[in-house]
Amino acid sequence: MTVLERQRARAKWQQQEQQSYFGGSEFGGLFLEPSQAVQGNFQGLVGGVDSVLGEVAAVLVKPDLSLESGLPEFGRFELSNMGFGSDALINGSTTGFHINSPTSMTSGCPPTVAAVAPEERGKVSVPAEKKSSVAGRESFKKRKADKVQNTKVGAEEDTKDKKSKVSAEEGESKITTEQTSTKNNSSATNNRETSADTSKENSKASEVQKPDYIHVRARRGQATDSHSLAERVRREKISERMKYLQDLVPGCNKITGKAGMLDEIINYVQSLQRQVEFLSMKLAAVNPRLDFNIEDFFSKELFPACSTGFPTTGMSSEMTNPAYLQFNPVQQLVSCCGLEMGMNTPDMAFRRTMSAPLSLPETYLDTSYITQLQPSSTWDADLQNLLNLEFHQGRSTSYASQQLTGSIEASNLKMEI
Amino acid sequence: MRNPSSLKQEILKRWIMGLQRCTTSSKNRMSILERKNAIKLSADLAMASARNGRTFWSRALIANASIDNDNRVLAQRILGPESKRVKKFFSTSLIRNRKIRSKKILRRSCTVRRVRKSAPQKLLANSIAKRLVQKRTRILKSLVPGGEFMDEISLIEETLDYIAYLRAQVDVMRCIASAELIDRKNE
Repeated sequence: MTVLERQRARAKWQQQEQQSYFGGSEFGGLFLEPSQAVQGNFQGLVGGVDSVLGEVAAVLVKPDLSLESGLPEFGRFELSNMGFGSDALINGSTTGFHINSPTSMTSGCPPTVAAVAPEERGKVSVPAEKKSSVAGRESFKKRKADKVQNTKVGAEEDTKDKKSKVSAEEGESKITTEQTSTKNNSSATNNRETSADTSKENSKASEVQKPDYIHVRARRGQATDSHSLAERVRREKISERMKYLQDLVPGCNKITGKAGMLDEIINYVQSLQRQVEFLSMKLAAVNPRLDFNIEDFFSKELFPACSTGFPTTGMSSEMTNPAYLQFNPVQQLVSCCGLEMGMNTPDMAFRRTMSAPLSLPETYLDTSYITQLQPSSTWDADLQNLLNLEFHQGRSTSYASQQLTGSIEASNLKMEI
Repeated sequence: MRNPSSLKQEILKRWIMGLQRCTTSSKNRMSILERKNAIKLSADLAMASARNGRTFWSRALIANASIDNDNRVLAQRILGPESKRVKKFFSTSLIRNRKIRSKKILRRSCTVRRVRKSAPQKLLANSIAKRLVQKRTRILKSLVPGGEFMDEISLIEETLDYIAYLRAQVDVMRCIASAELIDRKNE
């Protein structure tokens, strides 16, 4: 989308405006179609604002109704559309008063904006509006909606007319939805919140649709140069990742603030590392010599097979074993879903092979030992597995998306700058 | 991200193989501390190599193990046939580290200057909070292997990954330890 296309769209809009201006009786009919389009767009975009607008519209429309009783079609149109805040607004704005305000705007806009637009675009990076022709049309509609709002403000105070014009210009060069917050100073707080929401929604939607850039929008009062935009993106990313960490680290949910969270994370990592240390010490103490070296056994029985595929060989070697058949049903009961079987069988196999040569080297199949071992240690393992499974599944998707955005980021920043 | 059980299996396999290699090659009897060292190192290396060197922390962990004078022989022994691949990783990561470090130093000096310029009264609370965060970030960097050379975003990502793997490692080790204990009791 270029300035040229933009101007073309504006010209079209002007034409429509003039038609609506001159075609008195057709007014309602003519305006109905674009207004609906605007309204659809409007509701999609500014859904939250509607209520606010509806209030203002209700205030506005009542005097208008009395004014426009002369136009029967129009009154009907208004009444039929009373439900929609934006439609009522359109009516109020275009009929009740100064049509000069939109016209003056249109006459004033194109040259100045054409001059301003390229510079501002480069900085502020609103690629969604200028990406394709469809997007261009959308932005055109948005602009229309905004202009409607401008005129509404003009209705409230005639003296604001100039102001609204100026803000319309700057708003066009900046972000259109932001205008809602800049214009409606009366309901500034509400609007700002909703505009923030909508901008978030927009950025999300654009990310989903076209994942080759990140949509960054500056809110009112925020800096728009490339450095601070990049910094803001970075901070958002960090906070997003911190959220994942918060989910991961136990007892981190209640803590707010980055420092506290980092504290918790540090503690957790340290505790895990200490656990590793402790466990290795324990193992070293338990084994008088590094006792995992049941080499002759391992190298013959388990590890050649291990290199080809651990679980399958573990299973097959176990299947010959009557003991395995004995504890298998029990284990399936323990592990609610059969997912841990892959883990358990080699685990058990390994444990048995470890234990076997120590106690009974030649009778490898020690049934009593297995049945004794199983309830104590594997139970824990299974529970942990279940927990971990949940956690991993929850995390895997988010992590993938993270990596996606991470890879994308570089190109985006380029685009914005 | 893969299934945690398969991950644990992988770690277990690598660990036992590493330990096996370690013990077969050492003839003389080890003291308890040596044993502990060997076990810990092999467990760490198993964890890192289970990650396939795709993340920075795993590469750094392996690299650190191979740098260390005391552990170098042990690490090479544990890693066995993989040590060549590891060396490659090691060299590349070292080069990268150098670059990053120089950049970091530069940036740090820049920021210091900027902070001095800005008015301290207004941003006092802000700067205190920032300092707290910075301090903790530094600690975290020292905890995560290779963390000194990461920026903040990748540090947090790597921490996420590292925590997941550490958990798996701890689980595996706990399993083995409990099995061992039961063994001893039986005997």
